[in-house]
Amino acid sequence: MTASPSQPVAGPVVEEEIHLTLVELCRVCRVPETQVRTWVGEGVLEPAGRAPEEWRFAGASLRRTRLASRLTRDLDLNPPGVALALELLDEIDELRARLRRVAGGGR
Amino acid sequence: MKFKDYYEALGVERGATQDDIKKAYRKLARKYHPDVSKLADAEERFKEINEANEVLSDPEKRAAYDQMGQNYRAGQDFQPPPGWDAGFEFRGRGDGGGFEGYSTGGGADFDPSDFFEALFGRMRSGAAGGGARAGRAASGEDHHAKILIDLEDAYRGADRTITLRVPTVDAQGHVTLAERRLDVHIPRGIRAGQHLRLAGQGTPGFGGGPPGDLFLEIAFNPHTRYRVDGRDVYLDLPLAPWEAALGATVDVATPEGSVQLTVPPNSAAGRKLRLKGKGIPGPSPGDLYAVLTIALPPADAQRARDAYAAFAQAFPGYDPRR
Repeated sequence: MTASPSQPVAGPVVEEEIHLTLVELCRVCRVPETQVRTWVGEGVLEPAGRAPEEWRFAGASLRRTRLASRLTRDLDLNPPGVALALELLDEIDELRARLRRVAGGGR
Repeated sequence: MKFKDYYEALGVERGATQDDIKKAYRKLARKYHPDVSKLADAEERFKEINEANEVLSDPEKRAAYDQMGQNYRAGQDFQPPPGWDAGFEFRGRGDGGGFEGYSTGGGADFDPSDFFEALFGRMRSGAAGGGARAGRAASGEDHHAKILIDLEDAYRGADRTITLRVPTVDAQGHVTLAERRLDVHIPRGIRAGQHLRLAGQGTPGFGGGPPGDLFLEIAFNPHTRYRVDGRDVYLDLPLAPWEAALGATVDVATPEGSVQLTVPPNSAAGRKLRLKGKGIPGPSPGDLYAVLTIALPPADAQRARDAYAAFAQAFPGYDPRR
């Protein structure tokens, strides 16, 4: 568990270098498989592949899954509520990004 | 240690029903949830609200808290009287399910206040509690933490020492938070919102199982000059009116050092000049945009006023509102 002081630990960037299976995603995000299946059904997550055993989640799904899990837990949202909240959050992010592109914006 | 008024934290009366408490909690949770709110103190407030709810939504904890807290006010010095929790069964139960730290210190799943811990003990985190069945090997849990780096680190790559708070179980089964320092390599080209996976840096495995991984979410420290949008970086470039009108070559400080930028004649405020590939580096690097702003020199001396007057005379009939 301890890293030697001379050698910093390094690892891959999840979003660029990693795809996760359903089992891996559930383990990393500590959510039950049924939950992830429901979110896929709602379009919250969009894995490649047809059957759940073939699903491959892009690295960006990690953040999305954790976000969905926190919203579910803390705000007691149901899956359609999570889907709506994530869409609205995406839209707000996009608007904030647009603000940042103009002079003096986004601050 | 100061006494915490959990009723005040949720904005409810002491006589509030469980329904009132739930309603108040939900309302505040939606407002201050760190994933939703951009308020500067959202994370701190959310932690307080969550902690208050953890106590007040559980009838048993609430009863114990009420019994002990009736003579205290928020902020007052406080030590729990010995045996205050006699007759209640929550101490050491520690399921702790449902909590996950938002602290930038990362690591720990639940980060209760000292006050909470003095009353209800350390909560056992999922990492310490779940998973391993007796005599069976199981892999350790994955951990998540968030770290703040400078934009410049993403341009160059950097080695940073981070401090994580990790729940550790002692021989008696109590959970304590141990500080753990870790030297981490930040790869060049990393962007905000991305995660590093550090293999084997999570919780140790049980019974010979492999350790979990540590996932580090990257965020940038706010910068006074630069705004970041994915791979692209924006900065404001103030120009004198004559530079914008006649064109100029100006020095611009970028995260990679100073560059010379040619401003074309007749540039209006808001125009974006793109420095291709000067954003966050990588296989497909981002761009750097200088957003032009026009600064007016003050007309605070006769010469300056004369210059503005001559300026006006040179543009008879010019109306910027038309």
